[in-house]
Amino acid sequence: MITFSNVSLVYPHSTKTIIEDLSFSIVEGEMVLVMGATGSGKSSLLRLINGLVPHHTGGILAGDISVDGISTQAVKPGALAHLVGIVAQNPANGFVTDIVEEELAFGMEALNFPPDVMRKRVEEVLDLLSLNPLRHRSIASLSGGEQQRVAIGSALVMHPKILVLDEPTSALDPIAAEEVLSLLHRLVHDLSVTVVIAEHRLERVIQFVDRIIYIEGNGEAAIGSAEEILRRANLVPPIIRLARALNLAEIGTSVREVRRATEGIRQRSFIEQVPEIGNNEIAIEVKALSKNYSEKIALKSISTEIYHGEIVAIMGRNGAGKSSLLHTIVGVALPDKGQVRVFGGDPYLLKGRQRRITIGYVPQEPSDLLYSQSVVSECEQADHDNEIAAGSTFALLNRLVPQISEKTHPNDLSEGQRLALVLSIVLAGNPEVLVLDEPTRGLDYQAKHLFAITLKEYAKKLDRPVLIATHDVELVAELADRVLFLAEGEIVADGSTLDVLLSSPAFAPQVAKVMSPKPWLTVSDVVEALAIEL
Amino acid sequence: MRTSLHPLTMWVWALLLITAVVLADKFWFALATVGVATVVVLIRSDGSPWNRTYWLSLKIGAFIIFVRTLFGIMIGVPIPGTTLFTIPRIDLPSWMPGIRLGGAVTLERLSSSIHEGLIIATVIALFGAATSLTSPHKLLRTLPVFIYEIGITLVIATSLFPQVGESAKRIRLAARLRGVEKISLRLIVMPLLEESLARSLQLAAAMDARGFGVSRKRSRYRPEIWSSRDSALCAISALVPLAVIFG
Repeated sequence: MITFSNVSLVYPHSTKTIIEDLSFSIVEGEMVLVMGATGSGKSSLLRLINGLVPHHTGGILAGDISVDGISTQAVKPGALAHLVGIVAQNPANGFVTDIVEEELAFGMEALNFPPDVMRKRVEEVLDLLSLNPLRHRSIASLSGGEQQRVAIGSALVMHPKILVLDEPTSALDPIAAEEVLSLLHRLVHDLSVTVVIAEHRLERVIQFVDRIIYIEGNGEAAIGSAEEILRRANLVPPIIRLARALNLAEIGTSVREVRRATEGIRQRSFIEQVPEIGNNEIAIEVKALSKNYSEKIALKSISTEIYHGEIVAIMGRNGAGKSSLLHTIVGVALPDKGQVRVFGGDPYLLKGRQRRITIGYVPQEPSDLLYSQSVVSECEQADHDNEIAAGSTFALLNRLVPQISEKTHPNDLSEGQRLALVLSIVLAGNPEVLVLDEPTRGLDYQAKHLFAITLKEYAKKLDRPVLIATHDVELVAELADRVLFLAEGEIVADGSTLDVLLSSPAFAPQVAKVMSPKPWLTVSDVVEALAIEL
Repeated sequence: MRTSLHPLTMWVWALLLITAVVLADKFWFALATVGVATVVVLIRSDGSPWNRTYWLSLKIGAFIIFVRTLFGIMIGVPIPGTTLFTIPRIDLPSWMPGIRLGGAVTLERLSSSIHEGLIIATVIALFGAATSLTSPHKLLRTLPVFIYEIGITLVIATSLFPQVGESAKRIRLAARLRGVEKISLRLIVMPLLEESLARSLQLAAAMDARGFGVSRKRSRYRPEIWSSRDSALCAISALVPLAVIFG
């Protein structure tokens, strides 16, 4: 279905080879995962399939790519619209109309399909993706998962033979992600659609895919079955790390397989570890907080306390009120009722320097905080703002991610590098509290690990609270002490990470699923427990 | 889902009512029309973002009445009648006869100012009602085929506007959070331009990938059909200005 023969790609004004001499072929009805570090060229590879690269981006392409017998170099991307459906990383930026039904029909209108065919296909797709209740809704009012389904739907109405998706679950909560992935699985099996998908959170997709293309950076790439690639890859999901740590002979990609292989370990008994009792000095106090956004209730009488040195994860479905809660805590939104006290003061009244040294906030789009033309001038600005020695911020950044070039424009950084830059700017103010809103979208495992270490250091060494809103269960398992679980603006669970994550199967990390009923969340939990026993 | 009307119907309805209001030029009639429009908007709103335009148009209307009244009191030709109160009068040079600043405010002058303001506000409210009940995007869909492509281009261009507003708000917020109190233009404009540019490139890529502009002809998913309900509604609305003229 898709054949790459000796494909190499270089972008204009760049000396870096994105892809070098890559050859592979994908057959009909196969689901293939493209993985690699952030900024390694996954998106480029996906966009090569329908010719958006290089037709839309420029760049030099050597070798030949053929899709269902058509060479992508010979035709424009639009000519492949009936053959390849592509769902971009952020579907909200690719919507053309404002109503679900019209969005679905857009591609067919452009190709001059007769109205009766259009009607039939739209109905088909509405049923297939259970979008029927939403057909007349405005797209802007849909949740992230629903928008993702609309984007997939508008690709599917064209009856493409190939569906290409760029990180389709990165903005979704675990439940919505599961919905999207099982839908893709069904398309592959029922309709024999060929699916090519890029994803960082391998734990979500790995059990669904047939083969993996692993872009190792510096142009090298490997193709093989999931087991083959994961046996030696650097970026592996927790389930593989567990298999490696336990020296299992076979590595499995699904919870079921690894559970069978670890039967023996689970049957042994272990000394239960008593959790350390932390500091109980209150840092942030939230009292009976309520907030509405034009008829929609965002927060419903929320009360909680955050202590010094505590890392608290705020979880919940898309639209459960996580961002609203963070906004009121950092003091950019006023609550309708109730109050927030950060070290006894009202965060809404904080200004300028006082704000910088009290609350450090990393927003959902970290690049919002950046406005200079280069990394170094961004860092200098932070040094100047916080009246610290010149070069301190850049030194901090260098510790987080070495080998970052001073002159780079912040927009040209990879996701991970950009987050590190924003984090160093925020930390340069030496804030008393650190608040982060979904910081790990688009980060690979290594970048995430580095990020977790930095936050832990900040919280534990300086005894300061960290609040983090995220969908990333594995990150929470590794990082957080406590989890607040929100649903429809209310706290439905508040407890230690262990208790909250183990109580709901959808939000349980992979290691916990494998090791259930043992109370272990991460690979290091398992390794430590085993070490004590020996 | 409510049965849908032809996109033009609500506009015809609004235009006919506007004609009636302007022709009648009656205070209570204008007020009643706004009442009717409010009820219709409340009943027929479907939760689309355009629904908010009606409330915005009411706010604009109130502002216009306020400004018109203020100017009516301050400047203008005196209308004799019951004096309500007097404000200090500023003498203007002799070559500006008939115009005065300040002076006695009569009941007649006040009511005529409010009256004129209300008529303008009603016209704006009715336009607002039409927009909020039929999104301009839908209206564009009724355009004949040969200008339909231009219509689509307009739809895409206008759907970017609200996004730019959202982004600007988000970026301002972020700047405040970084502790920047003096919000300079550069601070907002640089990230905003970069984001808008990136967005439009993404949108262009998405449209390209979906075959936009490949076929010279373009079909329509759901042709808008003019039903008897539309005719009936337009006919009934047409009775209102007729009643004003001949009544």
